[in-house]
Amino acid sequence: MLEIEDLHAGYGETWVTHGLSLSVAPGRVLAVLGRNGVGKSTTLKAIMGLLGSVRGTIRFDGRPLLGLPPYRIATLGIAYVPETRDIFPSLTVRENLELAARRFGRPDGAWTLERVLDLFPRLRERLDNGGTQLSGGEQQMLAIARALLMNPRLLILDEPTEGLAPIVVQSIHAVLDGLRGEGLSMLLVEQNFGFATSLADEVRVMGRGTVVWAGSPADIRADTAVQAQWLGV
Amino acid sequence: MTADASFWIVQTLNALQLSMLLFLLSVGLTVIFGLLHFVNLAHGSLYALGAFVGVSASAFAGSYWAAFAVAPVAVALVGIVLYVALIRRMRNAGPMNQVLVTFGLIFVFLDLFRLGWGDIPLGMAEPDLFSGRTEFLGIVYPTYRLFIIGLGLVVLAALSLLLSRTQLGAIVRAGVDNGDMAACLGINVERVFFVVFCLGCALAGLAGAVAAPVLSVTTDMGTAILIPTLVVVVIGGLGSLRGAIAGSLLIGFVQTFGAVLAPQAAAVAVYALLAVVLILRPAGLFPARG
Ligand SMILES: Nc1ncnc2c1ncn2[C@@H]1O[C@H](COP(=O)(O)OP(=O)(O)OP(=O)(O)O)[C@@H](O)[C@H]1O
Ligand SMILES: [Mg+2]
Repeated sequence: MLEIEDLHAGYGETWVTHGLSLSVAPGRVLAVLGRNGVGKSTTLKAIMGLLGSVRGTIRFDGRPLLGLPPYRIATLGIAYVPETRDIFPSLTVRENLELAARRFGRPDGAWTLERVLDLFPRLRERLDNGGTQLSGGEQQMLAIARALLMNPRLLILDEPTEGLAPIVVQSIHAVLDGLRGEGLSMLLVEQNFGFATSLADEVRVMGRGTVVWAGSPADIRADTAVQAQWLGV
Repeated sequence: MTADASFWIVQTLNALQLSMLLFLLSVGLTVIFGLLHFVNLAHGSLYALGAFVGVSASAFAGSYWAAFAVAPVAVALVGIVLYVALIRRMRNAGPMNQVLVTFGLIFVFLDLFRLGWGDIPLGMAEPDLFSGRTEFLGIVYPTYRLFIIGLGLVVLAALSLLLSRTQLGAIVRAGVDNGDMAACLGINVERVFFVVFCLGCALAGLAGAVAAPVLSVTTDMGTAILIPTLVVVVIGGLGSLRGAIAGSLLIGFVQTFGAVLAPQAAAVAVYALLAVVLILRPAGLFPARG
C-alpha cells in the first residue's frame, strides 16, 4: 500500500536519510524503531510532503507522492499524527475535530464525531475547551481522533506514547489495538519497545538514516544483540 | 466645562473614525501575513486605488453609492491580477524579495494614479443620506463621519463572526496557527490564502472609497497610510484579528490626541508607542500563535 524506495530526505543542504526503503502492506502495522535523531520523523515528514529536500520514490497504492503538496497527499487517504501533536491552539477541541470531519466525513458510517468521542470519552468532556488547555495525554488523544475523522486508509503515528503517563499509554495502546483489529493500515514510529512490538506485524529498525534491521516482533524480541546495538534497550 | 467635554467627545469620535479606517486596512494585511508570512507593502496603494476608483465611479454614476459598491470589487479584481501575475510566483521567494517587489509596486501604482487621475487632489461628495451634521451629547458632528465609525464597527463585527463561527474562519485560524498541520488535514492553504487576499484587497478598496469624502484624494495617500497600518499590524501581533482591532484603536487615539494635545510630539508618538510595545511584548499585544 505504501512503498518507499531509496529515499533521501533532509532539510536544505543537510540530508538525514540515505537510501531508505520500507513498505506497509494493506491491513498491517509496521513499526519503525530507532534511537533519537536517526531520521524517523524526517521520513514521516517526507511521506506527508512537508520537506523541501527529498529524492527517491514514495508510492501510495502505486501512485507517486513525491512532489504532491501535503493537502493532496492527505486527501489520498493518509492521516498523520505528528510527534508534536500539533493541536491548533486557536481552535476548540470540537473545532479541531470538525476541521477533519467536515472534509472527510462519509455517510457510510465510518468514523464520525460521535464514534471518536466514544473511543476517547475524555474528549467529550473537553469539547469546548481551547486546544492548549489539554493535558499531554488529551492532546495525543485529540491528535489521533482528528486523524481518524479523516477516515484514512493509512494512519501514520510519530511516537504516540512520548512523554505520557503509563495509564494513558495503556489506553492509547488499547485504541490502536482496536484499530489494528479492524484492519486499519498503520505506520508506527516508536521508541517504546514493548508498546511497538506488541502492536506491530512487522518491525524495521533505523540507524544512520537507513533501515539496518528487518523482521517480525518475535524476531526482534529474541535478538538482544540488535536491541543493544541499535536501540539501547 | 461643557466646552471641555465636547472637545473630548469630538476628538474621541475623530480618533474612532481614524481607527476604523486603519482597521479596514490592517485586518487584511495581518491575516495575509499570519497565513503565509507574506508582506504586501502595496496594500496602501490598493487603498488609494479604492479612493480613485470611487471618485470616478461616483462622478460617472452621480451617486456616492456607486463608489461604495464599485471600489471594493474593482480593487479585489486588481488584487486577483496581482496575485496571478506576481504574488503566486513570489510565494517561495523569501521575505526580502517579497518586500522588494511589493515596494516596487508602490511606485508602479503611484505612476498609474498620475497617468489616470493627474496630480491635483480630488474630492468626492458625501452621500445625501449622511450629509450635514448631527447634534447629540451637546456637540455637532458631521453625520458622514459617524457613518464611517458605524461601518467600521459593522465590518469588525462581521469579520469577528466570520472568523470565530464559520468553517472558513476555523480554517483560517488553523492555517495561521500551523499551516503544515492544516495542510495535512487536507486543507489547501494556498486557496484559503487567495480568498483571504481578495477579501483584504476588497476591504482596502472599501476603506479608500469611504475615506474619499473626508480626505483629499491624492496619489500619495496610500504611502501616507502604509506606515501607521504596518505599525498597527506589528503592535497588534501578526496574524491576529484582535490585534488589528486593538492596534487600530491605539494608533487612532494616539495619533488623534497627540495631534491636538501635543502637536510637537505627535510625529514621534506613534513610533514611541511602537518601541514600548516591542520592548514589553515583542510578539505584539495579541499574538496569533498560542
Ligand atoms: N527542522 C529541521 N531542520 C534541520 N535539521 C533537522 C530538523 N528537524 C530535525 N533535524 C535533524 O535531522 C536529524 C533527524 O531528526 P528526526 O527528527 O528525523 O529524528 P528522529 O529519529 O525522529 O528522532 P527522535 O526519536 O528524537 O524524534 C537530527 O539530526 C535532527 O537534528
Ligand atoms: Mg522524531
